[in-house]
Amino acid sequence: MTETHLPKAYYDMLEELQTVDFVLVELNLYLDTHPDDLEALKQFNTFSKKSRELRDRFEEQFGPLDQFGHSYSSYPWKWNDTPWPWQV
Amino acid sequence: MPTHRKSYHPYISPFDPCPPIKTKTYETPAQLYLGFQPKGLDQYQPSEALKKGTLWPALYSPYTSPYEKNKRE
Repeated sequence: MTETHLPKAYYDMLEELQTVDFVLVELNLYLDTHPDDLEALKQFNTFSKKSRELRDRFEEQFGPLDQFGHSYSSYPWKWNDTPWPWQV
Repeated sequence: MPTHRKSYHPYISPFDPCPPIKTKTYETPAQLYLGFQPKGLDQYQPSEALKKGTLWPALYSPYTSPYEKNKRE
């Protein structure tokens, strides 16, 4: 198996996805106690849209991120493909 | 900038068995001062929010260790 290093873009996109998802976690918790805050809700929706776009872009290049149907997979089945999460 | 760590000076008695600790510190996290979070608080940039661990500077409270600070100085 030739030793393949992950391209830098892999980590950049993952970090960007992690950043957007963290903002979503914060806003989600905030909106639990402030359901009528329109500004936060708009920000939440724009960030969740951005997160979905990032996820799609990442998955086109590097394979599925989630399983059980939350991500598509190209042929052959890519879910149990390396790198595993702890190898990233 | 709110001070996250405050200090006080305990009473030192001449009969203390061990060498006295002159100043002791304690953490004062943001939620002590902030009751119900108001709307429209200003926010960090997303990348900075990830590093700081919160989206709102008002809620940022770094759990610094008083001992490391002494060591570093």
